[in-house]
Amino acid sequence: MKRTFIVVAAALISTAANAKDFLNVSYDPTREFYKEVNTVFAAEWKAKSGESLNIKTSHGGSGKQARSVIDGLNADVVTLALAYDIDSIATQGKLLPADWQKRLPDNSSPYTSTIVFLVRKGNPKGVKDWGDLIKPGVKVITPNPKTSGGARWNYLAAWGWALKQPGGSEATAKDYVSKLYKNVPVLDTGARGSTTTFVQRGIGDVFLSWENEAFLAINELGPDKFEIVVPSASILAEPPVAIVDKNVDKKGTRKAAEAYLNFLYSPTGQKLAAKHYYRPRKPELAAPADIAGFPKANLFTLDSVFGNWAKAQSTHFSDGGVFDQITTGK
Amino acid sequence: MSRLALPSRTLISLLAAALAAPLAHAQAAGSDAERVSDLEQRLLVLERKLELQSEEAAAKAKEAPVVTVASDKGFSLKNAKGDTEIKFSGIGQVDHRAFIDDDGAFRDGFITRRLRPTVQGHLGKLVSFRFTPEFAGNGTGDAASIVDAYFDLKFHKAATVRAGKQKGLLGLERLQSGGAISLIERGYVTELVPNRDLGVAVLGEVASGTVTYGLGVFNGTADGRDVIQADDGLKELEARVFFEPFKNEYSAFKGLGFGIAGSTGAKDGSGNNFASRYRTPGQNQFFTYNEAGVVASGKHTRYTPQAYYYFNNLGVLAEYAVSEQDLSRGGVERSIKNDGYNVVATYVLTGEDASYRGVKPSSPFTAGGPGWGAVELVARIGALSIDDDAFAGAAAADRLANPTSQARKAESYGAGVNWYLTGNAKLTTDFNFTQFDGGGGGTADRRDEKALFTRLTIQY
Repeated sequence: MKRTFIVVAAALISTAANAKDFLNVSYDPTREFYKEVNTVFAAEWKAKSGESLNIKTSHGGSGKQARSVIDGLNADVVTLALAYDIDSIATQGKLLPADWQKRLPDNSSPYTSTIVFLVRKGNPKGVKDWGDLIKPGVKVITPNPKTSGGARWNYLAAWGWALKQPGGSEATAKDYVSKLYKNVPVLDTGARGSTTTFVQRGIGDVFLSWENEAFLAINELGPDKFEIVVPSASILAEPPVAIVDKNVDKKGTRKAAEAYLNFLYSPTGQKLAAKHYYRPRKPELAAPADIAGFPKANLFTLDSVFGNWAKAQSTHFSDGGVFDQITTGK
Repeated sequence: MSRLALPSRTLISLLAAALAAPLAHAQAAGSDAERVSDLEQRLLVLERKLELQSEEAAAKAKEAPVVTVASDKGFSLKNAKGDTEIKFSGIGQVDHRAFIDDDGAFRDGFITRRLRPTVQGHLGKLVSFRFTPEFAGNGTGDAASIVDAYFDLKFHKAATVRAGKQKGLLGLERLQSGGAISLIERGYVTELVPNRDLGVAVLGEVASGTVTYGLGVFNGTADGRDVIQADDGLKELEARVFFEPFKNEYSAFKGLGFGIAGSTGAKDGSGNNFASRYRTPGQNQFFTYNEAGVVASGKHTRYTPQAYYYFNNLGVLAEYAVSEQDLSRGGVERSIKNDGYNVVATYVLTGEDASYRGVKPSSPFTAGGPGWGAVELVARIGALSIDDDAFAGAAAADRLANPTSQARKAESYGAGVNWYLTGNAKLTTDFNFTQFDGGGGGTADRRDEKALFTRLTIQY
């Protein structure tokens, strides 16, 4: 008995000692999703390759996470909110090629999401669409797009909707977004902070939220407190994933990293995405009940309205850009 | 759980009252519920903004560099992580030197003895550096120089590699900081060991710091002097081991330290930078190899046993050194063996602990206040003897030094008082009486030297 115990303990210690460290650097609202992905993938990878992985995920604001990787955080893969943030890792950190987005299907976004409205139960302010957000007395909760990736999606979704309205132009869109931010009483630095402001502190009438965050809030706090409103049009948010080439080559984890990201496109990965309220690229692979839970939405892509992330970033969010102009009244 | 500090809550209460006043008048007009809800929202927004401000301030504080200003340790800039730091400190000393009964042989007056700003720091855990220029030069500000300029690679507590210009490893008093030495000038052993040298050393401590060691290779210096730029291509090896066996114990011997150091190498050249000169505690030269054509022509070895003991307000430091050097003149080579010692005793009258690193006053001097600082009595005896062989041989042929002008021995007795006004200011006065054998012309002894020195030290 004693000998068996020693052998098992030695095997466990040996396994733990031999497990390779693997780091996924992600953004705030993916905590629950990647926690499950890591467990399932590690078991699958072990069975397939015999290699044990000690997978950890780091979460934070998408831009801040990208900065950490550029500054030396040893990420094997990044799964961030914006392609722009991974572009930064490629251009500033030179840690992966500039064409990283072409390496995986669907612009390297294995799942998508969108921006919806989370309102208090009964929708007391009668918010149904983007136009209602600029009505007097409606308080809108969204983070600061200068610091939050999710907030940029919110901003661009609002801008895109305004542009698509009859007679819509850059000028009317700017006017609309300007009025919208006048109704924002608190600008948190990140999506999780805004969730706290709206859900826990009870501030505001509408929370512009990642769809999965909105579902999570309802699941955790009960459908008697909040409800989701899907606007007439919103943006197709494509959170991208990528291998950090320089790091995996140094650590010898390229195969595991490739398998990890491909896993997200696999039937299991797509099922898990849907389970955690991300829209899978291949809905047919996910559980029908999960897919049925997604409301129908009229989604436009970022490229169709803004060209690409680099243009959207420089026009709207760079210093002196449109966001700065509307918030400083210039 | 309260999310706001008391002042914030008070502020909110006041604002609520202010906002509620007009509301009371409007209640009759209806829509009370909406107004109350609006008021509640405003308060919540205010509270959240304060919370965010506080979070932002806390986050900034974590990332902000730390500026430390400590009067006794200089000031420093450190990154939030604490592994990169640049620190500024310095020492300045102004002396008055008076020689009694010297018939004008020596010049009385003021000199600036040290004027040394220091920049030091570390870049990550591995690299640190120190740079100390000397602006006092020859005492009047001329001939500024660099005192310390070295880099450390701290691989381990037990192994730090130090490269550059640094203190020699040998002398116990030599290794004390200029602001911590007990008497105004160091004793005779310091005259026999290298002062500052250029080279590479490995330094470290083992056995929980109870054993420290140093081992290095240097360009080599004349006794008691700094390295010179013009290297003769020959090197000196220096080594030191020092034990403090009770350092980590609560024991009467906690302050006991002893060790031995030595150097070996070779020199090949003539002039002051190769053959040694020796000074009294009054900083007057009493011996040099003054015959024309004396050349350092071979081996130069030194060894120096050393010890100190500090217990409460009492301290004793003792060291002995031998310097043996091959010198030649007129084709005759001699091995000259000079030696010296000094014993320093200190007693802190005001009760603070005596220590190798100086005294820290428990009640610093405050003008018009109750503090008077710390007062320490110090005494020293010491001697330096020149090998008889230095005076052997014919004056015109192979003699190295002229006994009528160069003393064979100097023996000094010193006493003084140190007043540590604060951790930054120290006022010192001491008197050193020195007797000589020979060097006074003919068969006479050199005139006794009575040196009364006073010094103001400011360091930070």
